[in-house]
Amino acid sequence: MANYSTSQFKNGLKLILDGNPCSIINNEIRKPGKGQASNKVKLKDLITGKTLEKTFKSGESVEGADVMELNMQYLYNDGSEWSFMDPDTFDQYMINDNAMDDVRGYLVEQDICVVTLWNDNPISVTPPNHVMLEVVDTDPGLKGDTAGTGGKPATMNTGIVVQVPLFISIGEKVKVDTRTNEYAGRT
Amino acid sequence: MNMRDALKKRNNFLAQVRQFFSKRDVVEVQTPQLLDAPTTDVYIDSIAMLVNKDIEKQSKYLHTSPELEMKKLLANGSGDIYQICSVFRDNEQGSQNFNEFTMLEYYRLGFDMHQLMDDIIQLLDMLGVQGRVSKLSYAQAFFEYSDIDILNADFETLKIIARKHSLSTDFEWIEDLQILLFTHLIEPKLESLPLCFIYDYPATQSALAKVEGQIAHRFELYMNGIEIANGYDELQEVKIYQQRFSGEIDKRVVLGKTSVDMDKDFLSNLKNSLPQCSGVAIGIERLLSQIH
Repeated sequence: MANYSTSQFKNGLKLILDGNPCSIINNEIRKPGKGQASNKVKLKDLITGKTLEKTFKSGESVEGADVMELNMQYLYNDGSEWSFMDPDTFDQYMINDNAMDDVRGYLVEQDICVVTLWNDNPISVTPPNHVMLEVVDTDPGLKGDTAGTGGKPATMNTGIVVQVPLFISIGEKVKVDTRTNEYAGRT
Repeated sequence: MNMRDALKKRNNFLAQVRQFFSKRDVVEVQTPQLLDAPTTDVYIDSIAMLVNKDIEKQSKYLHTSPELEMKKLLANGSGDIYQICSVFRDNEQGSQNFNEFTMLEYYRLGFDMHQLMDDIIQLLDMLGVQGRVSKLSYAQAFFEYSDIDILNADFETLKIIARKHSLSTDFEWIEDLQILLFTHLIEPKLESLPLCFIYDYPATQSALAKVEGQIAHRFELYMNGIEIANGYDELQEVKIYQQRFSGEIDKRVVLGKTSVDMDKDFLSNLKNSLPQCSGVAIGIERLLSQIH
């Protein structure tokens, strides 16, 4: 993979830092009157999801990371691996269960997700902003409550717990916002 | 602010600056902007111009600062002088830096660095700049806002500290790392200070200021964390100017930058020495942006 000089830095550029692929989210250049310019860069580690900050002297170069983001259809999981398919090429990618920690509860078969590949290996999955999940367990609702004044926890078919309005009952499908883990309606 | 108001603000500002100097018998000058020699400053690049293409092709350079041309006047008996002019710099980057900006540069004979700082405070006061003035030596600033003993820490020690702060350590010379530490650890702390002079720089960052022991008689002015001005108790002896220039030229070679020659005309104009004086360069657009 090519190296990138600080003059090529821009948001979204993927670099290798401390062995991990990272994406630039902010690049601030400072040049003192007397002295060399430097780039203060904020990056997201694409493996750990953590944000880090690093300062380079202007002109320094950093190894690029071969990272691609592809739309893929989620097919199934077999308990240890999750299977995705590129709908254009029909290539299938297996993702290890431990890379799925944050998103496991939002994956619905056939949904199109964004899969991030590093050196052609999947490293992370971003589910759609909204997914339809089925309520498998929740306390019985109060009759007549349609305003959603209160809320109650409900366990979804994927295992996650979402706060839902009191009128929702077991067996119903609800829309969940995957970015906030919030109830977003019934259709 | 609409266009007319913005122009009036600038106009009024410049009129007040001129009035300030006129009261002090400091004379306005205009020096050449198109020079035969580029700057030797390691991290400032001159914009080269090819002139007289139809006659006898020749390279000229837009001035990056009027410093040397004004010092020629000082060496030839000008007395106190100031200049307001556009300056031009190549390869500038960052949201606060431009290829062209306006500089106010002035020199006061017989002043030391601290007298000049007091003079600047009076100028800013007249221009309506409000706020408490802080003065910190470079070493004090590091003690205050970090635990670094900047004057005594060696290159290796500073590299360890830089690594701890995720800062680059890929430098040839200690001064470049000192500057990076200042920019990233100290400058953000100066944002809460309306007016802050940093003075007594390490001798490694003397530029064209007098050096005494490990200290250079150089200062900078920060307003709310933004670098506004850079001043020196000016070097006097021509021999030392020559040494500083050749030191800078050597560094440019090591860094693989365009090679430059010393301004021989400046050296010969200086004869043996410059009269004792202090001088400062103030970035006008940056200063204006801080006046409300």
